[in-house]
Amino acid sequence: MRIGIVYDLIRWEERALAEAAERLGHEVRLIQVTRDPLWLGYGNGLGDLDFVFQRCVSYYRAMASAMILEEEGVPVVNSYQVIAGTEDKLYTTLKLAKAGLPVPKTAVALSKEASLKAAEKLGYPLVVKPIYGSWGRMIARAMNEENLLEILEFREHMQSPHFKVHYLQEYVEKPGRDIRACYVWGEVPAAIYRVSERWKTNTALGAEAVAANLPDEIKELVRRAGDLVGGGVLGVDLVEKNGEPLILEINGIPQFKNVVRATGYDLAGKIIESTVSMFKR
Amino acid sequence: MPKLSCPVCGGSLDIPEDALPGELFEHEECGAQLELEVDDQGSRRLKEAEEIAEDWGE
Repeated sequence: MRIGIVYDLIRWEERALAEAAERLGHEVRLIQVTRDPLWLGYGNGLGDLDFVFQRCVSYYRAMASAMILEEEGVPVVNSYQVIAGTEDKLYTTLKLAKAGLPVPKTAVALSKEASLKAAEKLGYPLVVKPIYGSWGRMIARAMNEENLLEILEFREHMQSPHFKVHYLQEYVEKPGRDIRACYVWGEVPAAIYRVSERWKTNTALGAEAVAANLPDEIKELVRRAGDLVGGGVLGVDLVEKNGEPLILEINGIPQFKNVVRATGYDLAGKIIESTVSMFKR
Repeated sequence: MPKLSCPVCGGSLDIPEDALPGELFEHEECGAQLELEVDDQGSRRLKEAEEIAEDWGE
């Protein structure tokens, strides 16, 4: 097959996908979206590709290029719709909660006053998150009302308007770890525990990646969550509350270097094989 | 390994021949984060890498 990799910066994952695709006998075209303009409605010479992986580190570049390529008739993995949905924590949590999948108790408040009302029900500590964002950035924990008011004051003065959408969530006391499960077209081929003494367990913040052999019920939960947001290739993050899994978020352009390092599993190869078989149907 | 010059300090870096446009390198001598750029003629040069932006992530 002819496979494109759409990217802005080359990280470990983009190289791993390109190498795996070549190793499996496919033709690979690397498309750096910052290099040339993308024309609207005139085609960009990519119509011969069977599909492309969307791998931009920048959300806005990912959205713009996914939309243009899809309109050109090139299937994008993940699709514009999946990337848009999973980038938005509000949308993802809403979809999961509505479908009855377990998520931490969450409210969205659009003012300081409404945030305080939400906090009365959630109790303290609680966590305030940006609805867009990654790597644990700008996530804050309020231990009491005074903390919450300080956090809200910072957020209300941020330039980006989305910081005025306050996503407030119960604080879950973790067992020193959370879970990153890899969803690939309905399968859960690899997972890690992200182990840290800090309350934020992102590997971007120094958590240690340890191979995880997830029980079937958690794998099933990951499958259902991935299917619900539109499938493809996803990173699903979960936390255990008193032994019961809750879904925290879903990543639409997942990094997987740490999964591969901890598990030794050829995830790039799996992503290529599964995606190729999807588009052969 | 081919050498390219650092746009920050003027020193030089070894960049593998199979390095790809958009690949990031750290110049150990000056600590600069650099990105490989390849023009339409195939000429390679290093430029300062972008700062991590608010919309970067997974």
